Amino acid sequence: MADMTAFTWMIALPLLAAPVIYLIGRLVRPDGEALTRWAALVMLGLTWIPFAIAASDLNADGVQTYTLGTASLRLDDLGLLLAALSLGLGTIVVFYSGPYMAADDGQEKYYASLVAMVGVMMGLGCAADLFNLWVWFEAMAIASYLLVAFYHEQPTSLEAGVKYLVQSAVGSVFVLLGIALVLSQTGTLDLTEIRAAAPESSIPLLAAGGLFLIGFGVKAALVPMHTWLPDAHSQAPSGISAMLSGVVIEAGLVALLRVLSALVGIGASWGELLMVFGAFNMLIGNLMALRQTQVKRLLAYSSLSHVGYMLLGLGIAFYAQQAAGAEGGFFHMLTHGMMKGLAFLAAGALLYALHASMGDHGPLTISDLSGAAQKYPWAALGLSVAVLGLAGLPPLAGFMSKWQIFVAGFETKNEWIEALVVFAALNSVLSLAYYAPLVNALYRQKPSDAVLAGGPLPSLMNVPLAVLGVAIVAVGVWPSLLDWLSGPAGRALIASFGF
Amino acid sequence: MSTLEILMAGVIAIIGIGLYGLLITRNLIKVVVALQILVKGALLALVAAGEASGQVNLGQSLAITVIVADTVVAVVGLALAVQAKRLLGTLDVDALSTLKG
Amino acid sequence: MTDWLIVLTIGLPWLGALAVWLTGDDRPDQQHRLAVIFSVLAGITALLLIPSTSDSVALRIDVGSVFGDFTFVPDGLGVFLAAVATVVGCLAVVFAVDYMDGEKQLGRFYSFVLLFIGAMVGLVLTGSILLLFIFWEITALTSYALISFHNDDPKAVAGGIKALVMTSFGGVGMLIGGLIVYAYLGDYQISTLLSRADELPSGVLAALAFGFLIAAAAKSAQVPFHTWLPGAMEAPTPVSALIHAATMVNGGVYVLARFYPAFEGVNGWTTAVTVVGLVSALMAALMALVATDLKRVLAYSTVSQLGYMVYAIGVGDIFASQFHLLSHAVFKALLFLSAGAVIHSVGTRDMREMGGLGKQMPFVRNVFVVGSLALAGLPILNGFWSKELILEGGLHDGPVWAYIGMVIGAGITALYTFRMVWLVFYSEPRAKLHVHPAGQMMRLSTGILAAGTATTWLLIGLFGELLEDTLPFHHLHVEAGTTLLGDVLTAPATYLALGVVALGLLAWWFRDLLSGVAASLRPIGDAAAADFGFEWLNRRVALWVTTAGESLRTFQTGSVNWNVAGIVGALIVVLVILALGA
Repeated sequence: MADMTAFTWMIALPLLAAPVIYLIGRLVRPDGEALTRWAALVMLGLTWIPFAIAASDLNADGVQTYTLGTASLRLDDLGLLLAALSLGLGTIVVFYSGPYMAADDGQEKYYASLVAMVGVMMGLGCAADLFNLWVWFEAMAIASYLLVAFYHEQPTSLEAGVKYLVQSAVGSVFVLLGIALVLSQTGTLDLTEIRAAAPESSIPLLAAGGLFLIGFGVKAALVPMHTWLPDAHSQAPSGISAMLSGVVIEAGLVALLRVLSALVGIGASWGELLMVFGAFNMLIGNLMALRQTQVKRLLAYSSLSHVGYMLLGLGIAFYAQQAAGAEGGFFHMLTHGMMKGLAFLAAGALLYALHASMGDHGPLTISDLSGAAQKYPWAALGLSVAVLGLAGLPPLAGFMSKWQIFVAGFETKNEWIEALVVFAALNSVLSLAYYAPLVNALYRQKPSDAVLAGGPLPSLMNVPLAVLGVAIVAVGVWPSLLDWLSGPAGRALIASFGF
Repeated sequence: MSTLEILMAGVIAIIGIGLYGLLITRNLIKVVVALQILVKGALLALVAAGEASGQVNLGQSLAITVIVADTVVAVVGLALAVQAKRLLGTLDVDALSTLKG
Repeated sequence: MTDWLIVLTIGLPWLGALAVWLTGDDRPDQQHRLAVIFSVLAGITALLLIPSTSDSVALRIDVGSVFGDFTFVPDGLGVFLAAVATVVGCLAVVFAVDYMDGEKQLGRFYSFVLLFIGAMVGLVLTGSILLLFIFWEITALTSYALISFHNDDPKAVAGGIKALVMTSFGGVGMLIGGLIVYAYLGDYQISTLLSRADELPSGVLAALAFGFLIAAAAKSAQVPFHTWLPGAMEAPTPVSALIHAATMVNGGVYVLARFYPAFEGVNGWTTAVTVVGLVSALMAALMALVATDLKRVLAYSTVSQLGYMVYAIGVGDIFASQFHLLSHAVFKALLFLSAGAVIHSVGTRDMREMGGLGKQMPFVRNVFVVGSLALAGLPILNGFWSKELILEGGLHDGPVWAYIGMVIGAGITALYTFRMVWLVFYSEPRAKLHVHPAGQMMRLSTGILAAGTATTWLLIGLFGELLEDTLPFHHLHVEAGTTLLGDVLTAPATYLALGVVALGLLAWWFRDLLSGVAASLRPIGDAAAADFGFEWLNRRVALWVTTAGESLRTFQTGSVNWNVAGIVGALIVVLVILALGA
């Protein structure tokens, strides 16, 4: 067994912590459940230490590899990006869940699954071979099934969990079939070796690529495989909605990028396909969000359109072998994580104050929000900043990342891609038509009945909102703040094409 | 027909049956069964791929790992089905299509 | 020094916005005071900038990555417009002390007004197209927030969202422009584009030029994007005066003028600009003639006057267009604010319920009449000089048909202006309205603006000199101020235009005799009242999009079987595409 390096500890710590957290909750009496949230927070806090060491190792010595038997893990800049996103949002969500979940039963399961999911996603980013990738992917799915169906006494959560499970399982079978095809054609599962072994053109490998695109696409919520997403995102506990939207679907996207970059040499037009999916995602996501009355469902559909922007940037990268598109796509992945994280957490805070703390599991509707700013100024401000950022209004983070994608599109000087960029920009305008009424409702002078009857909001819940809100503004004003993550990740993706 | 071709045909048939089941069944337990059939097709594909590439061991070890992971999924799926029966009194998936639009 | 002045002119209002917001709505007096202090300070720093105008970059911030350098260039055009934005801004804030007194959520109001003032200054001073776009969008955001200020009123909310969506739609045109300049020329600097526009492939340059035209038309409420401006009249009146008359709506005209040297060679571009200006000027004037809501008349009149400026750019007369922009900003702000004083006092915007208010509000009547005479283009107020300059330039450099249209427009302008003044201040009272006098702050700000309306034309020489010296790519040759004024006074075009204005006046005076003519023109009036169908088109588009959204929802059936079918269907399609592509 090779020496454990920092990045393996980064993955192992949360995975080892998860069962411990569960056992603490089950065994420690009388208040083990309260203890679990602190345990989860401490463990994720500690994970930042190996993360920082791994990041500096990566910076100093290049790609880190760890081999155990025949399986190996490899930390490159793309893996670091996913690790930063999942660990960052994970820590914030654990902190947020303290007050949010305080009254719920089964917190030990919640925190154990959440911490495990963070670790698994970091592992997913480091998978160096196809099968390893599938195992991490499946583990992530299982952890998230438990979290989506956490309120298993609620018929709607149960329904969302069932759909999520069935659709993900179908996707995962497609991925397995793809793996089988690749193995039969190239005789290897290692991503770099596949690239070397793949012939110039091969119909089975093309089919494998298609299967991967659909299989991972279910998790990444590509239209029309997205149908689980609005249900799961709106029914999960709000912290989990933030994780699902901010990291899990992006993890699916990263997995997809990993396999497609191994198949980039077989002469298929992956870039064009990604861009077409991107266009559909943007349009369908926006149109579906336009007429929603439930806040979390609206935000869920907006995730679809944001995946579309990422796909556009990444598709440009595949099409033109040009790092700028990938950098923009990954930058948007980060800013979307922050913005959608904030949006779901702030909406969750309002849901908590207006419904959940009253023991009511009904959805938060836009009309409930009327006048919420008077009673819950910070949550309202957080939600406003988040959705305006998602709409792409400067000077917030979302504008800068969209801009970087658009610049990449025009740098190809291909008129079809330029037209697609214009289409994307028009979609941002369309999204204003549902974000703006949301903000309007929050600042109305006449409060809704729900707001008048609403309970207090624990002040601790405002802390994660403030952190994310400040980050969104800071990145909007100073966009190169996240360059150290998205820049190398974009270049790593291009480098992995092997040209 | 070579062994490989027979295996391929088998994979396609099993996957087809699984997908067909998922598309038409209204019963939650049958949905889980259909998922299991799908995974069995994938298992066969993995073993066949190992055979085709001359790495039988690799194919088989993959298949065993998949069985482990898949069992967990089946357990979660069945648990959800039990819960659905308990909460809603039925296993009909139509009762589980209230979230729409 | 100059860099600090720029930072202060943008930063002071923003700091003020923060201060007002942090003060909290339970201390309205403090909020009023802070807003006035910060906006006045911003006005002073902007005026201090005038002596240090130059054509070189005064402030450069390297943002890195694909965002280029954020630069600020204090050239004559930018500094002048920054001064207009901040001075009119602080007068609007002073006015609001009376107008908004007693309103709830004052913090939100003042914060956004101050945020707007800072952003508008940034918009005109920046030398980077990306930063220009950023400020452009911030002004759109603040405009939306202020239109929807009374957000319990669905009309205000709808108006705000409409304004936001339409101006952002136009903004896409500018976004394309920024992207093209960066992708093809390597940075975002306006000077790069102006000096190297000929390196762009002609199709790309055309896309750029027309993209900016769309952006400008949407921002400046020109046809066919003008429909958001009447809806924007739901905003509190100081906002209408500041954003929707004096500053933000000028953004489009400013941008066209700024980029004119790069685009003038593009096939058909100048003609398109001329036509947009002409059609807007004429159509909006007709709409103003039949509108009954006082603020709407002023809104249409703004569209119409902006049309004059756009027209002037189309015929290549940049100086005249920007000079009219300056005059218009002053007299239209005056008209809006004094109309606001009327509305605040009588509680309605419907002119049919007003009448005879002049006796009860003599001060407001007097300043309103000054503004109206400037709008109608009567000597010697500022509107007269600048409008005559535009018409004279149009006669010399532009097509004759356009000139004739613009002169007719001047006549209609006079007609609707007199109609408005008459309906509000003269004739018999038509409804029992409870009138209370305008407050001190209202008098102060409208008084200053009235004085400005009478005098800003004296700045013509200074303005011309500054533009000539600091806009190296425009090759402007502006004659000395006295020569210009002398030209206006001696040109036959002036007397022709004045004659038409007089005709407009006479037409109002003898309107009873002309009732036969009026009846035969009824269809035009009806069409104008219906916004010539553009409002209908607007609603169709909105309806079409929402219907599309609504019908798409039926495809989200919620059934597991259907969802799996989506996955399988997508797999088949992708495999077929791959098979065909291979």
